[in-house]
Amino acid sequence: MNRSTMRLLRGAACAVAAAVVSACAAPTPPPTSVVYGLTLSPTGIDPHLNASAELGIPLTSVYDTLVVQDPLTGDFLPSLASSWTMSDDGLSYTFHLRSDVRFHDGEPFDAEAVRANIDYILDPDNHSQKAVFMLGPLERVEVIDPTTVVFHLKAPYPPLLDSLAQVYLGMASPKALATWGPSDYQFHQVGTGPFRFVEFVPNDHLTLVRNPDYAWGPSIYQHATAQVETVTFRFYTEPATRALAVENGDVDILGEIPPHDAQRLAGEGIGVTPVTIPGQPLQFLLNTKRPPTDELDARRALLLALDRPAIVQAVFGDTSPVAQGLLSGLGLASSSLPEHDQAEAERLLTDSGWLMGTDGVRHRDGQTLELTIVAPSWGNNPEVGQLLEAAWEALGAQVELQIAPSFGQLKEAQEKGDYNAIGINFFGTDPDLLRPMFASDGVYNWTGYRDLLLDDLLRRGGSSAISPGERQALYGQATQIVLNQVLVLPIRDYVNLVASSPRIHELRFSYTGWFPLLIDLEIGS
Amino acid sequence: MTKRRFSVAVALAWVLVVVAAAAAAPLLTSHGVVQPVGHPLASASSGIPLGTDELGRDLWSRLLYGGRASLGASALAAALTVVLGGLAGLVAVVGGRWVDSTVLLVVNSALAIPGLLLALLLVAGLGPSLPTIVLAVGLGGAPGFARLARQAFLQGQTATYIAAAAALGAGRVRVALAHLLPNARPQLLPLAATYYAWSFLGTTTLTFLGLAGDPTHPEWGSMMNAGRLHLLDAPHLVFLPGAAIAMTILSVHALAGALARPRPRPSD
Amino acid sequence: MVSPADRPRNRLLIPLLRRLLSGIGTLWAALTLAFVALRIGGGDPTQSLLAQGLASPQQIAALRSELGLDLPLPAQYVRYLAGLVRGDLGRSLYTGRSVVVTIGEQLLPTFELALVAFLVSVVLGLTLGVVAGWFPKRWSGRSADALSALATGVPVAVLGLLAIIIAAALARAAPPLLGWLRSGGVLLPALTLGIAASGALARAIQAGLLEASGAPYLVAARARGVGEGARLLWHALRPVLPLAVALAALQAAFLLSGTVVTETVFSRPGLGRLLVTSILEGDFPVVQGLVVLAAAVYSITQATADMAAMALDPRLREPS
Repeated sequence: MNRSTMRLLRGAACAVAAAVVSACAAPTPPPTSVVYGLTLSPTGIDPHLNASAELGIPLTSVYDTLVVQDPLTGDFLPSLASSWTMSDDGLSYTFHLRSDVRFHDGEPFDAEAVRANIDYILDPDNHSQKAVFMLGPLERVEVIDPTTVVFHLKAPYPPLLDSLAQVYLGMASPKALATWGPSDYQFHQVGTGPFRFVEFVPNDHLTLVRNPDYAWGPSIYQHATAQVETVTFRFYTEPATRALAVENGDVDILGEIPPHDAQRLAGEGIGVTPVTIPGQPLQFLLNTKRPPTDELDARRALLLALDRPAIVQAVFGDTSPVAQGLLSGLGLASSSLPEHDQAEAERLLTDSGWLMGTDGVRHRDGQTLELTIVAPSWGNNPEVGQLLEAAWEALGAQVELQIAPSFGQLKEAQEKGDYNAIGINFFGTDPDLLRPMFASDGVYNWTGYRDLLLDDLLRRGGSSAISPGERQALYGQATQIVLNQVLVLPIRDYVNLVASSPRIHELRFSYTGWFPLLIDLEIGS
Repeated sequence: MTKRRFSVAVALAWVLVVVAAAAAAPLLTSHGVVQPVGHPLASASSGIPLGTDELGRDLWSRLLYGGRASLGASALAAALTVVLGGLAGLVAVVGGRWVDSTVLLVVNSALAIPGLLLALLLVAGLGPSLPTIVLAVGLGGAPGFARLARQAFLQGQTATYIAAAAALGAGRVRVALAHLLPNARPQLLPLAATYYAWSFLGTTTLTFLGLAGDPTHPEWGSMMNAGRLHLLDAPHLVFLPGAAIAMTILSVHALAGALARPRPRPSD
Repeated sequence: MVSPADRPRNRLLIPLLRRLLSGIGTLWAALTLAFVALRIGGGDPTQSLLAQGLASPQQIAALRSELGLDLPLPAQYVRYLAGLVRGDLGRSLYTGRSVVVTIGEQLLPTFELALVAFLVSVVLGLTLGVVAGWFPKRWSGRSADALSALATGVPVAVLGLLAIIIAAALARAAPPLLGWLRSGGVLLPALTLGIAASGALARAIQAGLLEASGAPYLVAARARGVGEGARLLWHALRPVLPLAVALAALQAAFLLSGTVVTETVFSRPGLGRLLVTSILEGDFPVVQGLVVLAAAVYSITQATADMAAMALDPRLREPS
């Protein structure tokens, strides 16, 4: 009998006994280890306090959340909360908690722990950058008994479950929170998840080790406990050399591979998985408050002048889908957008009085056809912006492209109003994402468009008490209005290109698309 | 000596070629810098001698017009440095003790922040764009130039005939313009050349850091920044503008050195 | 750096104190400049927070009063200086965290980079300078001369990107070398920055040696039979050293701005990257804190170098 068979038998024995005899699990798992590459080095990784998306990649496996989202359908399923109810007025949510859950430090998970976590987030001295905003109009958390907890809201807030399913509201050990405090807890994180947090050395590595006692995993996990012993996260911040690191076996899994590298890697037998990121595509909103985009014909001409597949091909190669609507990855019916038609675009402009001058620029009544594009500096927006500029210049417009290096500057440019097209998009798993952007009073109504019918459709779609079929229909109608009015130029549906070495199997991601479900990760030969 | 003369000749030739190419850019290419002319990263073919860039635009055109932007922006910045710094130095020398101390205090305190950081600070205050960079680099170089210009003027001032002119009743301004300025010229000229090299480095560095604004309109530093993503599969996107920047700086250094060396007198 | 025994101690002490005081004065003026420069834009940094929905109007009002933005400029200036004295640089607008902590977190990688780069530059600068200055006619001297000219002229960004390409090519041949490219690896960025910084030092030493080789005292030393070789070189090098020390301090300035570019090129975390991102985000307390730090480091190294030079060369002790 060789050694690997021995190990197999021991493993089988332990799998049977795992639930009762946790000590047995320690020697069993083969000493497998995986290196996972992160693409930026976050400055803080306390999920309750910091806002980085990168921190969720490792920490989603350290914490459990009250509810989880099905990775495929987005349905909310039980996790730390075995069931929940919402009051009819939408102002309180009651969660019934599991009683068999223990934190990695041995402390029991209960209703007091939930309250301690939420209080930590709400404490203004802790300066939470994200979690506190995800709680919306939450007023307080009430402990009824050790397994029952009630969230009281000041106003109805449909995204609450969505928030509670994310790592930013994962449940941390109240003892650890109190011991380390807001500045040091990030280095000593304690959750209830399938992996324990070992250490975080900023800019160098972060290590997780399998939690052998894990026995309360939600149904979205295929395995009861993790299949690899350790996961080490390293930072690969330089995009140009990311692919090289995968090729050379320096790292097993690495996301956000530049598109042109993805093509080459695929040619070398390294798997590159495009993971769909649900939400809005890369898109530019058109300003209906400023000439010339205040006229529908001009907006239509700008859309028709774009060869969107060519733009996507030029910037993203073959790996990215051309956007077909206002949202992707949410199971909404895709809508059709008109194809590139230069002649029609030119005709629309000419018919509305914009006549081509001898200088190659169109004029109307002594005015020049001027367009200003504001593109955020991240996520390939500048490249797309440059191609928009080229396309519209060819149409006879004088185009200026401004790059906004931060969200603050993007918003500043928007407030000044001196733009015709502005790049902005949000990721998210709920189609209610459309409301802030296209409703008249929406926070991100950067098109300036007002339409009572559209408002009504978006409001009804966003309310909680409605069947999925009705919702589909409402959002379908809303989408049609937005597209008919050409309020937005959808360019490319987001995908995260994740490269993984051939020995990695069962690499799956959460519904949001960013966070891997490490518990199910398997290593082949 | 001959070797040195040779390198100065090469430097001069490069500077002339670059300036001429930038000035005559529209004559040297038939493509613009905005419109794609082919697939991204296409290789060279007729009409596109260097192939296309990461978005399919003619790389040759972009290098030509990019040089125009880099040379122009840095020349403006250097002019600002020389005028401001020179003026401060001159005022310090002719203005009397208090003016001199005040100028020195401002100059020395500004020098406690390294020039590039000072420029970055100004970009932070004014917002990132190419005109801002010109202003920031110009102001960032001024304190250093002022200090060296002041020294040059001081050396000129000690000449007895200037004291004589002052004694004869020539006004301060007149002394400054008629005597100090021409006297210091042999020192100021190479200094100005050195500061041009500095401005050029500063401008292209700030644009490389992504502070130039619109990337559609090429500039060598911005082009390097945009090409970084393709560093391993299309290194020429980075190294063509990079080499042009390095060549220009080396050449201006060499020319400044040649200007600074005293011309051999016949008796030597 | 022992002062000659025949000179009384206070002859050294008074100039040193004078230098120290003027260093403090310059630092104060630099801090003031940083304060003014960041306010010429005139924008209210808290507005962009409000705009991003990262804070409510009430929170903004609280933040404004916390930052003292509701005070008149002179009062803000006094607050700013008072804060500096207490070691308080305020809070980041974006993360709400203390600027001192934010900067402290990024201090180590930059310090590591600057230190290794400094060592590289001193070793390389000395070597190139001595070879080029001592053997001006030989092949080795000419190559050293060309190399140091290249080092002064080629921008850090170009050098760094070249280094990545070379390392990538090497790593393809020998995968273990790939560790160099990982974020956090110090070797490649430090070599880049060190090479770039070595040029000025090399050229100063070279010029000094070239000048010295014809000087009478060297001719005399040769006549005394000191001979060619190392001892003669040491004779020639002595007078150049104070200048070299002053230049090494100037490297501090170069390294400070060089880390900004190097860290960006190698996507390496550190103060330089923090500065660029803070500028782009308009996070002015962090920018201000970084500039204050840079000015302090720079002033201190300058003062130290001047004092070291004074100890090495008595002539420098007279007030200029």
